[in-house]
Amino acid sequence: MKLHPQRALLAAALMGLALQAQAQSATYTIDPTHTFVYYEVGHFGTSTNRGRFDRKQGTVQFDRASRTGKVDVSFETASVSSGVPPLDKHLQGADFLDVATYPTARFVGEQFGFEGDRITQVGGSLTLRGKTQPVVLKATRFNCYLNPLLRREVCGGDFETTIRRSQWGMTWGLDTGVPDEVRLLIQVEAVKQ
Amino acid sequence: MHPLRRGRCQDDGMLKALTAACAAWCAGLAAQAEPVRYRLDPDHSFVHFEVLHFGTSTLRGRFGPIEGLVELDREAGHGAVSLRIATAGVSTGLTAFDARLREPDLLATEAYPFAEFTALHFRFDGPRLAAVLGELRLRGLSQALELRAQRFGCHRHPQLEREVCGGDFEGELRRGDFGAGFGMPFVDNRVRLRVQVEGIRQ
Repeated sequence: MKLHPQRALLAAALMGLALQAQAQSATYTIDPTHTFVYYEVGHFGTSTNRGRFDRKQGTVQFDRASRTGKVDVSFETASVSSGVPPLDKHLQGADFLDVATYPTARFVGEQFGFEGDRITQVGGSLTLRGKTQPVVLKATRFNCYLNPLLRREVCGGDFETTIRRSQWGMTWGLDTGVPDEVRLLIQVEAVKQ
Repeated sequence: MHPLRRGRCQDDGMLKALTAACAAWCAGLAAQAEPVRYRLDPDHSFVHFEVLHFGTSTLRGRFGPIEGLVELDREAGHGAVSLRIATAGVSTGLTAFDARLREPDLLATEAYPFAEFTALHFRFDGPRLAAVLGELRLRGLSQALELRAQRFGCHRHPQLEREVCGGDFEGELRRGDFGAGFGMPFVDNRVRLRVQVEGIRQ
């Protein structure tokens, strides 16, 4: 994580030119150090429980000219991390993620919404606990830049959506007030290959 | 000795700031309703931070559980907070990044193993808790910090059979103000804090 500010500034200055000169269609590999899914679930109407998934991999293809793309990202469900070890165990069990039977969750998205060069949303399907349901991820931020350390173009942003966990068969606690709605906050950066 | 078994204005070691505040506050409030003391629930008391990375995506991480006590007199509209967090417990999901964050030019966890937040000013909007105004001490430097309540409420916990109060709070700091400026401007100076707290009535 050692940065060279002068070089980075130069790189940033050249970024616009670099982006204009690039080939239009490109494949990007998910940067696992800047790609995370955090979830938020209400707790007894009082506060918000948060957690995240730590292990993931995936690719993104996208073509600014034709405004098309495809994202395919998988998360290891066993890597759920809430900061509370007994809660992680419960989340990994059959009541929730059932990681022994369903070790991965996968999002595949091909319906890219654009506003100019900027991605505004990605629609696709989320497979979780063996069930596949449609999900639309809304971009709250999207940008491409030349990363001075990698010396490659990186595109990424912040996305969010709210799902109902019961659609994937996770119904534990619904009758005792554990909310069905789960907000997902997604950070993603992908490196041009 | 368990700090909560002592008198409510006695020194309990870990919470000197609260105690000092409490001594003055108790005298002032002698004629009023007794404030209620809550100890933070370690299963539901965390700070998540958010920092913008290259103007592109949001880095997140977690500190906690937060330890500490809150005194609240909702009728009188007063409160006091003394909390601390072990800085070495920072968790981003990336072992190498966590180790980098602990280094002297960022969290400096060896020299400053705890971040502390003390607050004596609770702002109410009618009956609703709107904000907690206090001071954050991080890397040995103190700065004012306002935590705005997004929601706050109390309920009777069915298993504990005790009152639990808690909510979600948000605040923002500039890490450069605490001498943790490494990596700017590529990683933003502004750090957004998203705080979950629940306190169990003692």
